Amino acid sequence: MAPSRSVTDSIPPSTTPEVEENDLRPFFVLHKASSRRKDRTPTAQAKLCKRNELSSSPQSAKKLGGSMTEECDLHLFQQLQIEAFEIVWAKIESTIKDVLRDLNASVFDDIQQWVLECFNTTKLLGQHTIAEATRSFPVLNNTTPGKLFTAFVVTRNIEFVDDILTFEELGHFLKSHGCHVAKLSSMEFSLKNGISGCLKALLREFLGCAIDSADISILASWYREHVNYNKPLVLIINDLGRCSGPVLTDFILMLSEWIVKVPIIFIFGVATTVDTLRNILPSHALEHLCPSSFKLGAPAERMDAVVEAVLVKHCTMFSIGHKVAVFLRNYFINQDGTITSFIRALKVACLLHFSTEPLSLLHGRALAEDQKVRKSALSPETLLKYIDELPLYARNQITDHHTKQSTAEGLSELVTKQKLWSTAVLCLYEAGKYSRVRLLDLLCEALNQDLNLSRGSDCHVGDERYCGLSSTNDSCQQYSIMQSGGFISQIVRKVRDLPTGMLYQLIENWEKLTADISEIQEKLKVLQSSVRCEDGKSPRKSSKDNPKRSASRIPVNTDKDARLNSQAIAFLDYLVGNFLKPIEGMPFHEILCFKNVEKLQLVLIGDPRRRIQVDLLEFHKILKCSCCSKSGNALLPSRHDSSIMYSLAQEHGDLINLHDWFQSFRTIVLQNKNKRKQNSKQSPQPKKRKAINGSADQNEASVQARFCRTVTELQITGLVRMPSKRRPDFAQRIAFGL
Amino acid sequence: MDTNDNWDEDEEEEFEFSRNYFLAKELASSAKKSKHKLTDIDVVDEQELREAASRIQPKHEDEIALLLDSYKTIYPEWLLALRCGFGLLMYGFGSKKALIEDFASTALTEYSVVVINGYLQSINLKQAVIALAELLWDQMKTKRRVLYRESPKSQQPLNSQSMEELLTLLDQAEIDDVDFFVCVVIHNIDGPGLRDSETQQYLARLAACARIRIVATIDHINAPLFWDKKMAHTQFNWSWYHVPTFAPYKVEGMFYPLILAHGSASQTVKTATIVLLSLTRNAQSVFKVLAEHQLSHPDEGMPISDLYSVCRERFLVSSQVTLNSNLTEFKDHELVKIKKHSDGQDCLHIPLTAEALQKVVFEIN
Repeated sequence: MAPSRSVTDSIPPSTTPEVEENDLRPFFVLHKASSRRKDRTPTAQAKLCKRNELSSSPQSAKKLGGSMTEECDLHLFQQLQIEAFEIVWAKIESTIKDVLRDLNASVFDDIQQWVLECFNTTKLLGQHTIAEATRSFPVLNNTTPGKLFTAFVVTRNIEFVDDILTFEELGHFLKSHGCHVAKLSSMEFSLKNGISGCLKALLREFLGCAIDSADISILASWYREHVNYNKPLVLIINDLGRCSGPVLTDFILMLSEWIVKVPIIFIFGVATTVDTLRNILPSHALEHLCPSSFKLGAPAERMDAVVEAVLVKHCTMFSIGHKVAVFLRNYFINQDGTITSFIRALKVACLLHFSTEPLSLLHGRALAEDQKVRKSALSPETLLKYIDELPLYARNQITDHHTKQSTAEGLSELVTKQKLWSTAVLCLYEAGKYSRVRLLDLLCEALNQDLNLSRGSDCHVGDERYCGLSSTNDSCQQYSIMQSGGFISQIVRKVRDLPTGMLYQLIENWEKLTADISEIQEKLKVLQSSVRCEDGKSPRKSSKDNPKRSASRIPVNTDKDARLNSQAIAFLDYLVGNFLKPIEGMPFHEILCFKNVEKLQLVLIGDPRRRIQVDLLEFHKILKCSCCSKSGNALLPSRHDSSIMYSLAQEHGDLINLHDWFQSFRTIVLQNKNKRKQNSKQSPQPKKRKAINGSADQNEASVQARFCRTVTELQITGLVRMPSKRRPDFAQRIAFGL
Repeated sequence: MDTNDNWDEDEEEEFEFSRNYFLAKELASSAKKSKHKLTDIDVVDEQELREAASRIQPKHEDEIALLLDSYKTIYPEWLLALRCGFGLLMYGFGSKKALIEDFASTALTEYSVVVINGYLQSINLKQAVIALAELLWDQMKTKRRVLYRESPKSQQPLNSQSMEELLTLLDQAEIDDVDFFVCVVIHNIDGPGLRDSETQQYLARLAACARIRIVATIDHINAPLFWDKKMAHTQFNWSWYHVPTFAPYKVEGMFYPLILAHGSASQTVKTATIVLLSLTRNAQSVFKVLAEHQLSHPDEGMPISDLYSVCRERFLVSSQVTLNSNLTEFKDHELVKIKKHSDGQDCLHIPLTAEALQKVVFEIN
């Protein structure tokens, strides 16, 4: 914009108290990127810093050099923070994407198969054999021309925001399988946009460039081109429920007329039921569709898969504390309920972790190295190297060599322990699948340090007893994990009652999960050997496939079955007792673990409605001024005007009489002045009287002006609505309570 | 269990909220409704009021300055969030205009910054987006030295491109440098000029562009209701910061009428008097006839035929035509309104309260 540029050039960014010209422009350029952009690569900066350090330290001008290095160090530090965040988050994000893609893989395959079938059918419509074409009567096929193949993808989720990614992936998937794919959203199918808007968007999506005329024949001729021909045309609309009915009707009718030249196949995303379409489309449009339906995984399944990959298997070593986990779960269950928001919360947690914990940089560094060399780079030696390479700013916590050494060792051990922890959680979760325990709930419990401590004290005596893996099988109640309430004990109780067949399956799964951990493998082998010896006596199949027979065997086998079950419980108990140690209890966990739940909550969920009111009501606590803090909540004239007014408003009902409001405001703000006036009246100085009267008028004007301004301010915050014509003397309160 | 505690807390909170609401409602209906009128306040002259408003002494200047200074220590955190791809959303009582402009001019010097004043009544968002695209274009040229791969559309001047094309330009993901972006500072993203849902949709799409970062402020307690989950979680990607400043809303409040100056009865008395004094004496007398009738029969209007006969008797008008011309004048200045009486007759009515009317009559005498 030429004018705005000239203005910014001419006006220096000085801040005069009066309203500036810029304040009244809809927009303006504050400044352009400074031309001397620093070289932002960390290596270059590190070199620069090193040079500074070298040149400055031996010289007498240490101070100058010191501050320069400090600044440089801070700069480098932030750059490293960003890199660490980016590498960790990119890894988490791609892991999540992979997990979700895997979940949808089979549905995507089905859809692709279906698309191919539909395409082959429609192709037959356009191509006539010579015999057909030369027939004297019109061509009639079995399939009625004008039917559009339509797939309904049931997302089983009210919130369509979670499925944006799914449909994007579906688009990529179909594209990679040789389809032309267009993706339109409900925004395009709005009444305002109309049918021409849809068409333009459709052309843009297929042809890849904007075309001004909305003409479907353009699409037809494009499709006739040799490169494009012979590929299915797929149109994905991911939130059908939000589309405008009349526009969609027109669109469908038009496409059905063009079906031979432009054989488009629809894929509609619907929330929970295919009836949606019946609600928005009239029957004459519906009869042009030839529907089939596909079902995506439930949101809870997806949630569990995401939690498993990111927070239990720790794709990046980044982990969260117990309170954060509980907060995330409550946020998911009570407030938002979308996986998108859960992922966002994780992202914010990740950002805050790197922004608040200087040593967390090690984490990013290790991960980067890990990806490069494709092996675990977390031996104490390599860690030590990373610590040495940290910028001064982050390193100042650990200075001497000894601390460095112990940090490196501690961290390395931490990572090993975490691996054991996640294996234990996975084993529990595997068992929990029989009692439908959600992984997120289990995670919260597994991270709870208090539970672990109490468990530890219970467990102590029992430890030796369990070493031999259930020398006694009389009662399961002895296991400490069964006594504490919660999900783990729920899981264990279920394992106690698990039929043998399922138990075998479970043990097999456990074996897969613990494959690379020798400590657990040993215990599992003991369990398996006893399984095998049971196996020899009673073939496994019989109990699995024929519950009736196994039931008939009860008097003979219950004892042994129960023994097996209690052995399985003993195994779980061993896992919980030895490996389910929450990360928060270990030294150096701060480097990998984010715990600051208050901060997360603040940054993630702003709560303007509550907080703006608190600002006003407890204003002195924020400003920490000496004058207002003393008197607590009493309304002193020294308080901020809006604060006084809003406190006064609390005494009214939903309507505030403006006159009364003004009078009480006036009384409060004039408190001191009246006192002063009384004092001055006593002094016999008649000359001053007049001056006081004059200032009284001024006072009145200023009180009124202040009243007006505060009402305006409260109006801007939306706490008060202006008087209506019907009730000219009353303002309306909007917020009730915090 | 914590979950239960949390549930209880939440429910308790909700209960508290609804109870407060009903208590307030009850208070309004049970307590005698205050009969005091806004007109009872002895309002000073509007001119004087405006002058006084511009001379209001700020309170707690030192503490506010300290508070603003304390926010400076968080600038690096904000910058980090911004560079990591989050949008910054500032809220809390007080004008945050100076604060975020200070942030932009101290911490964001390496990026181009465009300010959008959302508190203004009307904003052409497309013009702003064009400016953004121009800035980005310039930056790209200086960055690459070689000209950016020209797409056929880019030869077209930017201001003739459609919003879609501009957004695509701003969304270029192929540049590797993540740190390459233009920053948009939006004062009052909840302001009157940006409040409609279409603009908010465009802002969300703008925020989602790879080469754009947004720093915005909100003041309205219900501002988050503008955004659905897609906008809030995937497009704006807000990082919230609570930064009350208690600074006066100088520019933001500029367009709000002063409650004691505008729309109040004294104001209408004044305007009515001014209008009437500019008319002929006869016209004023016609208005007086109407006013007297309304004061003695407050609930019903005066039929035109009645007015005509009274005016004729007092030699105020000579014909229906003269009366009509007077009435048109009144109607144009909203001194008179026509109401249908229950028997279907058109009745004249002055839209002023009895007191205001008395004052007007007194003034023109």
